[in-house]
Amino acid sequence: MQNKLSFHQSSTSLEIIGLPDYSNNENKDQISIISQWKLTIVDKPLIEGKLEHLGPIMDAFYIYSNLLIKNQIPIYESKLIDIKADNLHIHNIVLKSSQPNVKPLVLKIGNSLLSDTINCFDQLNESPKVRIKKTDISINIPKKLRFGLNKKVNFINSFILPFFAICSLILFSSSFVYFYSPFENIEKKELINPE
Amino acid sequence: MTIWKLRNNNPLRKSYVNNNIKLNEFDALISITVEMSKFLYPYIREILKSKEDFKENSVIWNDFNKRFIELIKERFNIESMRVKKLLNQAENDEIIIKYLLILSFSISNQGYQKLKNFLYDF
Repeated sequence: MQNKLSFHQSSTSLEIIGLPDYSNNENKDQISIISQWKLTIVDKPLIEGKLEHLGPIMDAFYIYSNLLIKNQIPIYESKLIDIKADNLHIHNIVLKSSQPNVKPLVLKIGNSLLSDTINCFDQLNESPKVRIKKTDISINIPKKLRFGLNKKVNFINSFILPFFAICSLILFSSSFVYFYSPFENIEKKELINPE
Repeated sequence: MTIWKLRNNNPLRKSYVNNNIKLNEFDALISITVEMSKFLYPYIREILKSKEDFKENSVIWNDFNKRFIELIKERFNIESMRVKKLLNQAENDEIIIKYLLILSFSISNQGYQKLKNFLYDF
């Protein structure tokens, strides 16, 4: 009997199927030998594969998302997966099958689905129940910066604080969405157009 | 009160005071930002989604953008070039989306470390 573990974030879910490594005295609900994984994104085709595909796909998403927010050209290409930005909001993903004569799967996702997917991968990386070669691309601090961390943080005043300020304004403005009720809006429209 | 004072270290603010911020204060600001992002993720996501389907679902993005600009005008020094860039509707979409993405990528348990890396690598 195989174990199944699911990680959900809004419109995306990631399912990991596999077995514990009994030779290592692991708990029966642990997954160390992954036999299959499925990434389900609402309104998009199912993405599934074996263990050897999971790592490169996760890496691709992490590298691409890093490029996206670091003002670099957001293009990632590999034998298995290509991701590039169509525009500021839409990302084009091409998944290439390892089997011959199978057409690549092409899907377009927006920023909201991209962040859901990254968060599902984060949950998998952080899960104590799944043993996987952890993706640390998003967590590693580059050497030059690690060195800088132990030194002065004077540059904070010139850049980091504006960042926090803009973030806090974004967070304040986001909370403003609390007060928006689409249902009220529909009711108002109905009142204006009673037909 | 300490956080209140820290805000004045921001050179974009009207009430800017040049005091060097300490590393532990910087870490605290990161932690607060990550916790707020976790809490507000459903709304951050809806704002991003609203911009994706702008023709059909522009209300949330417009409300958010309007409030964001109001807050900048209220608190920031609008004579500064960097603030002017934030207020310029033709340019600020990209900046806002980028910041929303950074926040939405930092909601995991390791979000604190991720956000810190994003900042140092900016």
